[in-house]
Amino acid sequence: MSAPVAIVGGGTFGRALALAAARVERSVINWSRTARAFDHERITSTSDFAALRAAELVFLAVPSPHVRSLCGELGKHLDGAHLVVHVSRGVVGDDLETLTEVVRETTPVRRVGALAGPLVAHGLAEGQPGGGIVGTLFPEVADAVRGALGGPTLRIYDTDDVLGVELASAFVSLVTLAMGYAKAGGFGPGTLSVLATRGMAEATRVVAARGGSERTTAGLAGFGDLLAAMAEDGRPELALGRALWEGEPLDDAAQRLGAYVEGVRIAEQIQNFGARHQVETPLAAAMAAVVAGRLSQREAAAALMRRPAREE
Amino acid sequence: MLAPLAMSLLPKRPLHLPRLRTYVPEPSDPKIFWFNSERADILQDVVRRIMERYEADDAVELVIGDAAFHEIRRLENRTDEAGRKGLEYWRGVIRRVGRMSSEGKHETLREIAMRMAKDVAGNFDPRVYKFAARAVPGLLTGVMNPSNLMRNMLDSGTRLDELVSVEGPMEKLRALQRKGTMLLLPTHSSNLDSLAIAWVLFREALAPVVYGAGKNLFTNPIISFFMHNLGAYRVDRRVRARLYKDVLKAYSSIMVERGFHSLFFPGGTRSRSGAIEQRLKLGLAGTGVEAFARNRARGVNRPVFFVPATINYALVLEAETLIEDHLKEAGRARYIIEDDEFSRVERWIAFFKRFQNAESACVIRFGEPLDPFCNAVDEEGRSLAPDGRVLDPGSYVSRRGTATVDSARDSAYTRDLGRAIAKAYVKETVVMATQLVAHVLFRRLCRATPGLDLFARLRHRGDIAVPMDELVQDVAQTRDRLRKLEREGRVHLNSAIRRTEPDQIITRALDAWSGYHQKPIARVLGGSIIAEDPNLLLFYQNRLRLFAPDIAGDNPGDQQAAIEIAAMEGGR
Repeated sequence: MSAPVAIVGGGTFGRALALAAARVERSVINWSRTARAFDHERITSTSDFAALRAAELVFLAVPSPHVRSLCGELGKHLDGAHLVVHVSRGVVGDDLETLTEVVRETTPVRRVGALAGPLVAHGLAEGQPGGGIVGTLFPEVADAVRGALGGPTLRIYDTDDVLGVELASAFVSLVTLAMGYAKAGGFGPGTLSVLATRGMAEATRVVAARGGSERTTAGLAGFGDLLAAMAEDGRPELALGRALWEGEPLDDAAQRLGAYVEGVRIAEQIQNFGARHQVETPLAAAMAAVVAGRLSQREAAAALMRRPAREE
Repeated sequence: MLAPLAMSLLPKRPLHLPRLRTYVPEPSDPKIFWFNSERADILQDVVRRIMERYEADDAVELVIGDAAFHEIRRLENRTDEAGRKGLEYWRGVIRRVGRMSSEGKHETLREIAMRMAKDVAGNFDPRVYKFAARAVPGLLTGVMNPSNLMRNMLDSGTRLDELVSVEGPMEKLRALQRKGTMLLLPTHSSNLDSLAIAWVLFREALAPVVYGAGKNLFTNPIISFFMHNLGAYRVDRRVRARLYKDVLKAYSSIMVERGFHSLFFPGGTRSRSGAIEQRLKLGLAGTGVEAFARNRARGVNRPVFFVPATINYALVLEAETLIEDHLKEAGRARYIIEDDEFSRVERWIAFFKRFQNAESACVIRFGEPLDPFCNAVDEEGRSLAPDGRVLDPGSYVSRRGTATVDSARDSAYTRDLGRAIAKAYVKETVVMATQLVAHVLFRRLCRATPGLDLFARLRHRGDIAVPMDELVQDVAQTRDRLRKLEREGRVHLNSAIRRTEPDQIITRALDAWSGYHQKPIARVLGGSIIAEDPNLLLFYQNRLRLFAPDIAGDNPGDQQAAIEIAAMEGGR
C-alpha cells in the first residue's frame, strides 16, 4: 500500500489537488490551519504537521510569502526520505530566490520540485483533461507526482530546469496582471499579443540571467500557462489588473478578491533584479510603477511603446 | 640559468624509491599509509565495477570501440615511442573486436580497464611522506631565498607558517577525520595549491589526502616524484574515452568508500579569470555521494564530509598566463596549459622573492563541513536539520526504507552540492590587499569608460590616472564596506587589510606586484597612480566581482561601474 499524499494549504488550489489525488485512489492528508473537512472518504484533514510525517510526497499549496515560515514548522517533521513539491507562482526577494531554494534552506528535504503549467483549480477538482509540468532534478520526484495526480485526465511532464519552471511561472503572473490591466483599458487582441510575447521574451532574459534554460519559457510553465490565463481561467491577477486600471486602491482590490495575488510583488522584484544584473525588464518596470501608483494608464502604455524596436 | 638545464636532465619517468622492506603501518598512522597494501584490491574493485556496468555484449563492443576511436585520434599526432606503441595496440584492438567472441570482448574490456586503472592509480611511500613533511618547507623557503639556503633549511617551518596562514574550524575537522571520510574541496588558482594544502594539512595535524592531479603536473620531475609517491592519482584530461572517465569515477568512488580522505578541485581547472569559481560541476567530487550511497546499500555506515576551502593568494604565480587564456577566445579551448609560469623555475624564484617579508601571502580558509546532502554536521559527525535535529543521512538514499544506489538521484544531489559549495566559496573568500587595490583601480577604469565592453576597456593601458589621495579614500571606503560584509558573515578580510592604514594597503599591493609580474600593473607617477595593465587588474579584482555593488561608493559613477563589473562574465 502506497504512502498517503500530503497537501499543505486549505485554499482553492490545495483542495483541488486533494480531490485530484483522491480521484486516482490515493489517500490524502490535507493540512490547513483550521483543518477544514472534506466530504470524501480518502481525504482526511488536519492542522497538525506531525500527521504529515507518514506521507512520502508533500505538496505545498500556499502563497509564496508564507512558504518560509511554514516550512520552518513543517520541516521539523520531515527528513531526507520526503519529497516536497510546491505549486506557488511566486519568488522571494529581489534576488528572485525560488521556492524550491527556500524549501531546501528551511527543511531537511532535498528531493524537491515545482509543479506548474496550465493547471486550473476547478479543472483539477472536476477532472477535466489537462496537463502540467514538474521541474525537478530528481526523476523519482516526477514519478511520485505522476503517481499522485497523473491519470486518464492529467498528463504530467517533467524537466530538470527547476529554476526555469519556477521563474517562467512567476513571470506568467506578472504578464497576466499586465493583460488584465490592458484588457480593462480596452486594448485589442493585437496589443495583448505583443504584450504577452514581449513579456515572455523578458521572462526568457531573466531566466537566462538567473541560470535557467531559455527554452523553458516557451513550454507549459511559460506560454502554456499564459494561454490558460488569457483564456480567462479565473486567475486573480487578471481581476487585479482590471482593478488597477479602474483606479481601485491595491489593498481594497486584494481584499475584494480574497486571495493573495502573486503578480503584485513580482513586478518590483524583477525590476530590481534587472537593474542589478543589467537585464532589460521594461514590462516589470512599468507594472511596478503602476502598482506603486507612480504611472498613470496612459503613461504606462507610452513608456512601453517608446522603447526602440530591435531585431526579435 | 643552471636550474632549467638541471631540470631538463632529470628523468621524465616517475621515480620510486627502492623497496628494501615492506612498511607495516602503525594503528595510529593515517588511512593512506594502508594504501599500498590495498592497492591491488582497489584495482580489482575498479575492474569489477566496470564489468558490472557493461554486461551486455553490445555495450562492451560499443565502449571498446569508443575507447579505441578516441585513443587512436589522440595518439596519431604523437611521435615518441610510447605513443607509437599505444597506437599499435589500439589499432589491433579495433581490428579484432568485431570478430571476437562474447568472452573475448569481455576479456578485452577487462584488460583495457586494468590498463587504465593502473595508469590512474597512485602509490604511497611513507618514507617519501616523512621526508616531504620535513624537507618541503625548507625547499620551498630555500627557493624563496637561494642565497641563504642553509638558514632557510633550518628555520623553514617558522617562515612558511608566516607565509601561509590557516583559518576555519580546524578542531572540528580533526575530529571529523576520525569519524568518517573527508573530501576537501578547495578553490583552484595555481598549481601551487596542492603543495600549499599538503603543507597545511601536515602542519595542522590533519591526515594527508589523495587527489587526482592533472597529468600535465607530472611533467615537472620534482613535483612528479612527490605526486607519485604521496598517493596522487593521475588524471589525463587528453583522454576522451568514456571508459577512462568511468574508470576514474570508479577509482575515486572506491577510494572514498574505503575511507581514504580525498581532495578534489571542483572548478576542474585553475580559475582562468581569477574569479571565485561559481559554476561547479563537482565532477569526481560527486563520487563522494555515490560512495556514501554504495556503503549504505551494503550496510556500511561511514559518514562522508565535504569541506569547502578557499585558497587566497596575494600574488598568483601563473596570473599572466591565466588571464591571457581567459581573454583569448581560442585560449579558452586550451584547457591544459603546459608552458606557464609553474614550469619555469626563474618565475618561481621571482614569485617567492616577493614573499620573503610578506606575512600571510597565502591564506587557506576552511569552511564548515557538510554531509553529502548539504546538511551541516556537528563535531560528532552527525547530520543536522535546519532546526538542529539530528538526521539520518541514510534517509536521503532510501526509498520506502531501503537504501539504494541510483545514479540519476545521486547526480541530482551532486548538483545541489555544487551550488552549496559555490555559495560557501563566496562566504569563505579572504580578501587580500592586491585584490582590494586592483578592484578599486579597475572600478575607476570602468567609471572612466562608461558603457564600453570589456575588451575596449582593456585597451586603456596607462590611460587612467587616479590621484593618490583619492585612491586612498576609495580604498578606505571600500574596506569599510567589506568590513560590514564581514560582520554580516558574507566574506572575510585578510588580517593585514583589517589593521593596516589604507595608504599602506596600496603600498603593499604595489610592492607585491612590482618585481614579480613582468609588466607593471600600476605605478606611481607625480602623486597619481596609473593603471598600467588592465588585464592583470581584472584578474586580481575578479575575486571581488560578486561583491562589487555592495562595496561601491555612493558616487553614481561608482555605482554604475560596480553594476557593470558584477555583470561581467566570471568564467572559470
